[in-house]
Amino acid sequence: MIDFWKRFSRNRSAVFGLAILLTVLFVASIASLIYPEDPFRLAGKPLSGPGLNGFLLGSDSLGRDVASGIAHGAKTSLLIGLIATLAAVFIGIIFGAFSGYYGGRIDDLLMRVTEIFQTIPSFVFAILLVAIMKPSIESIVIAITVVSWPGVARLVRAEFLSLKNREFVQACHTLGMSDLRIMLREILPNCLSPIIVIGSLMVATAILIESGLAFLGLGDPNIMSWGFQIGAGRTMLRSAWWVCTFPGIAILITVLAINLVGEGLNDALNPRLRERQ
Amino acid sequence: MKIINLLSTAVLVTLLSLFGVAHAQKSGGTMVFLVQPEPPTMAGYVSTSGPIGLLAPKIYEGLFDYDTAGKMIPVLAESYEMSADGKTVTFKLRKGVSWHDGKPFTSADVQFSIMNVLKEVHPRGPNSFKEVSSIDTPDSHTAVFNLDNPAPYMMRAFSAYESPMVPKHHLEGQDLKGAKLGNNPVGTGPYKFVEWKKGQYIRLDKNEDYWGSDGPYLDKIVGRFVPDASTRTAAMENGEVLYAAYNAIPNIDAVRLKERDDIGVTTDGYSMINPMALIEFNTKEGPFVDAAVRRAISTAIDRQFMIDTIFFGYGKPATSALSSNFSATGLHAEMPNYPANGDIAAANKILDDAGYAKDGSGVRMKGTFDLIPYGEDWRRGGEYLKQVLGDIGIQVELRYEDVPTWLKRIYHNYDFEMNLNYFYQLSDPVLGVHRHYGTNMIRKGTHFVNSSRYSNPELDKLLRAGMTQPDATKRAAIYKDIQTILAEDMPVVNLFELEFLTVYNTKLKDAYGSAMGAYASFGNAWLDD
Repeated sequence: MIDFWKRFSRNRSAVFGLAILLTVLFVASIASLIYPEDPFRLAGKPLSGPGLNGFLLGSDSLGRDVASGIAHGAKTSLLIGLIATLAAVFIGIIFGAFSGYYGGRIDDLLMRVTEIFQTIPSFVFAILLVAIMKPSIESIVIAITVVSWPGVARLVRAEFLSLKNREFVQACHTLGMSDLRIMLREILPNCLSPIIVIGSLMVATAILIESGLAFLGLGDPNIMSWGFQIGAGRTMLRSAWWVCTFPGIAILITVLAINLVGEGLNDALNPRLRERQ
Repeated sequence: MKIINLLSTAVLVTLLSLFGVAHAQKSGGTMVFLVQPEPPTMAGYVSTSGPIGLLAPKIYEGLFDYDTAGKMIPVLAESYEMSADGKTVTFKLRKGVSWHDGKPFTSADVQFSIMNVLKEVHPRGPNSFKEVSSIDTPDSHTAVFNLDNPAPYMMRAFSAYESPMVPKHHLEGQDLKGAKLGNNPVGTGPYKFVEWKKGQYIRLDKNEDYWGSDGPYLDKIVGRFVPDASTRTAAMENGEVLYAAYNAIPNIDAVRLKERDDIGVTTDGYSMINPMALIEFNTKEGPFVDAAVRRAISTAIDRQFMIDTIFFGYGKPATSALSSNFSATGLHAEMPNYPANGDIAAANKILDDAGYAKDGSGVRMKGTFDLIPYGEDWRRGGEYLKQVLGDIGIQVELRYEDVPTWLKRIYHNYDFEMNLNYFYQLSDPVLGVHRHYGTNMIRKGTHFVNSSRYSNPELDKLLRAGMTQPDATKRAAIYKDIQTILAEDMPVVNLFELEFLTVYNTKLKDAYGSAMGAYASFGNAWLDD
């Protein structure tokens, strides 16, 4: 662990990203403490500028607190990012593991299915799914999952393909281990590092997709998120810049932080880069 | 026989407008205007949905139009005669009018349009032409309406938007709601349908064979669909579009654009429309079956806040089931249960008294709140209302769908609990208001009628009385009773009278002249460079 941290902290920007990410996580976790009220609550004079009428970052057209929205929205954005990523990684591992391990017809079948999903532009596909299912937090998570798992499946398949003929796997065969046990206990742990890296980057993509959907009016109208705030404020961008700007900055730095951390993880976990100094 | 010769009025109007106009109209040019949102069809004879109203009346025409003073302007009819008992109305139709496909327009089309189309599938037609029992066509340019009872309000319903004349030869024997004509309109109007690029625009070209001697002047008009509000504003600012009615430009931008020399903003052109923002409730199932709950909701809402924050001050709090614009005819009466600034405490008390206790987290009941998918303003409205409802212990989830799904949910499947919407109360309650409340207006599949499925025999009786009562004082008394019942039962909670804004480029001239505003034909509009 210490060794890992050493390698990770060698990348300064990754540490910087981690610090930002932890801050965002901290804000999200204490959102209900610093802003106990519903972020949709009308808190005061509409369209107050930052610092005016007791609003740290201003208020929107209905008098909702932008800062409160950002704090609560952090929770939503991170949660959507995490859940969608976990679901996508889960599906991706199943598809990738089976097709990589067994090869042949199963591989053909699973990879053709994966390709169907890969050929559709992911954001357009997400819009379509949400529009069909009606905008809600569940449908957004499902849409993000559906558009992001094929990448994981491809990666896992490649790892399995290269690992399945190694000596340690063959040794397992001779010991009489079941296929499932070999896949889960022997091969999977060995390809975890690239999965962690791609997963961390997927969280960032998921947050961006969610914001994009909410911006287009396809967000869950009952849940505060950064994309929703931007969408609600964009019509008045010229007269009340703060409504869009602050949530936009929040998205920017969060996604940047996650990407930096992902890169740091890659450096730290990739054995081929370990010697690169 | 009382003879009204509309020709002389028409001549007078024409003369007046000639004197009023200092420079001659110029021909040519393309006029692009905003249509928001994209309409599902262009069948104005089936649906009165707003975006259809922006397009269909350019293609179809009515028997008459109405000028801003409410005077009738002859269009497809040249004149009419009403018998002394008011039960026979004879229309002399204009000669030499042909449909866009070349077939002549005749009295058979009028007969078919009224009896087989408007009376059957139009949302308001059954009301407007309720008393019309048959139409005789003694010759191809005379139509005689036989009425069971006098129906003076019918004479206010002949505009192209309200009662378009449709080609019999395209609709006869077909399923009216699904007919091909819906997407390929063929009318008699100043502009012909050319193409519909889904998601982008509808293009109409000048009808070269138009019967009118002056106009149309524009070569083509294009209705563009731009889903994003700030893009619409930008398009108006850089002169890409010249005309945007019905709040296609959000009020916040309209207020800003007003300062520019080349852009005008007006609230004119909506006097026959009389729009009212409201919430419809499902009175048959779900959490809002009890009138006390609906009354509590009406009591809680800060109407003035909605007007000020969402519509930037354009609007007026509702004070009864009728718009205050009906004060002119004495029909409007102020009622309790419509506080302009909302009274949360009183609303909570109504619910407490009705026996709806709050649970541990302060929730009395839960529900789903559908929002009219006509843009950001309504969404903001829903977000505000959700907060207010939360304050009185009603927890709602907002639902925002696309237009066809929403229309189907509310008016076909009745699969809703409460719905934010706006209705046009039009020029007379018989035309615009009866349809929300009458038992005979529970018409599955017809848009913008009694979706609450509210049915009250006592009210039905009053509505019928209000329809036929010619005496103004007696009629006012009837409508006072109607409003009293509705303030108590509230199948629909009126929120506020909308004031729509039209934003236009000053290059565009004479887009008006009709009381129908944007729902008129653009027949006289022209571009001044």
